[in-house]
Amino acid sequence: MGAMRSALPQFRGRLHDPRTAVAIGRWLGAAIVVCFLTGLISHVLQHPPGWAAGLLPTRPVWGYRLTQGLHVASGLAAIVLVMAKLWTVYPRLFAWPPFRSLTHLVERLTIALLVAATVFELFTGLINILQWYPWPFSFTQAHYAVAWIVAGSLLLHLAVKAPLIRAHWRRKTSDVDAADRRALLAGVGAAVGAVTLTTVGQAFTPLRAFDLLAPRNPDNATQGVPVNRTAAAAQVTHASAADWALEVGGPAPYRISLAELTALPQRRVRLPIACVEGWSVDAWWTGVPIRDLLARAGIPPGTAVRVTSMEVWGYYRTTAMPAPYADDPQTLLALRLNDEVLSLDHGYPARIIAPNRPGVLQTKWVSRLEVL
Amino acid sequence: MRITLGAAGVALITVGLFLLLPLPGLWGVVVGFAGAIALHDVVIGPLVLLAGLLVARLPDRAVVRGALITMGALVLITVPVLLRPGPPPNPTLLAQPYGLNLLICLVAVAVVAVVLVLVRRRR
Repeated sequence: MGAMRSALPQFRGRLHDPRTAVAIGRWLGAAIVVCFLTGLISHVLQHPPGWAAGLLPTRPVWGYRLTQGLHVASGLAAIVLVMAKLWTVYPRLFAWPPFRSLTHLVERLTIALLVAATVFELFTGLINILQWYPWPFSFTQAHYAVAWIVAGSLLLHLAVKAPLIRAHWRRKTSDVDAADRRALLAGVGAAVGAVTLTTVGQAFTPLRAFDLLAPRNPDNATQGVPVNRTAAAAQVTHASAADWALEVGGPAPYRISLAELTALPQRRVRLPIACVEGWSVDAWWTGVPIRDLLARAGIPPGTAVRVTSMEVWGYYRTTAMPAPYADDPQTLLALRLNDEVLSLDHGYPARIIAPNRPGVLQTKWVSRLEVL
Repeated sequence: MRITLGAAGVALITVGLFLLLPLPGLWGVVVGFAGAIALHDVVIGPLVLLAGLLVARLPDRAVVRGALITMGALVLITVPVLLRPGPPPNPTLLAQPYGLNLLICLVAVAVVAVVLVLVRRRR
């Protein structure tokens, strides 16, 4: 036993202490709470439970742009903060004996779960925004499930550590390490600031110039807007779009050609396109309000519709559009983007654009609308 | 209060496990959890501690340490971009020169650190 103990590393750094852990833990906790809540918002907007679909808000139009921008920014910040937090508490990994009682063992196991789930969650999120999927599971399903484990094990951790957190919430006046700790926290704050500054421009346009490290720089765009799924990936070609006509199913179904659609009263709206991967841009969209197209088929307001794309295959080839979006006067079957005819990659001949909706549901190459 | 918080935590973990356990490819999540702990505790943790030992005796340690933390954070979030195999899925994704941009950021951090040291010494 004695030999084992002396083989363990000795830590003399004095900032591996509860006060530093509390100071960094507060920031990390705040980042995780923001990340978790904005993630839930994104999940509900993308996969609304049946009872909620009719209640989804279409205002503010930039709502999803804000929440998903925050989701990715707080996740990136949390990567830095979790590393700092783990550095602070690292010596406790070598506590001897490994556990003093059953309670202590359970506590250590729940901390292992918290660390594993948090690092897994942040790492898969980071890899996902690169559209890199080196794993056998579905990213969305696993990322969603593990989010609950992170949130739960964080609450459990706070409950277990509550007395320690309370005792170290405020700095003690006798603290001889205050200046050194302040310097460390300033360094961690600078790191969070640097990561945010060099990535947040992918969503926050005023800082676009500093977007050096984000997966997206919206300046790399066609018609002012980046592309996620290309026409090539969706196997849509100019030839397949040539004899296109929109079908609208309903009590009075009809088919309408692109020329006829263009001749209908058009509406021009400024709406953001905001991707689940965190980038977003504002753009001008011109087209026919969906509710006008539905009314022509005798579909009454308050009806949810199914939107079908020309794409040959894809998880989002058909999507459900809940009634609040279908009714909204700003929801368009857009034909033009920033005053140009949509490019094939942006969904030519016609695509959906709706306010406060994840980009993946802004269906491109729309071929059919019908009652859900 | 503590009991309620702890019980809420256990409830949320249960929700997560309920969602997670039926997923296809679950072994990947298990490997990911174990790998997350191993990656930090065996690789990243010791490397950071070693860096801490090396700068412990330096003059202006506080600024050097802050600069190294900032550089480490920038490297950490950029490494996956640099390691990602295969071409970008489309010309608007991963279209930045990440190696060069990372270098620019690291140099900028170093310049700020040097300026900070000079300003602090003049005082």
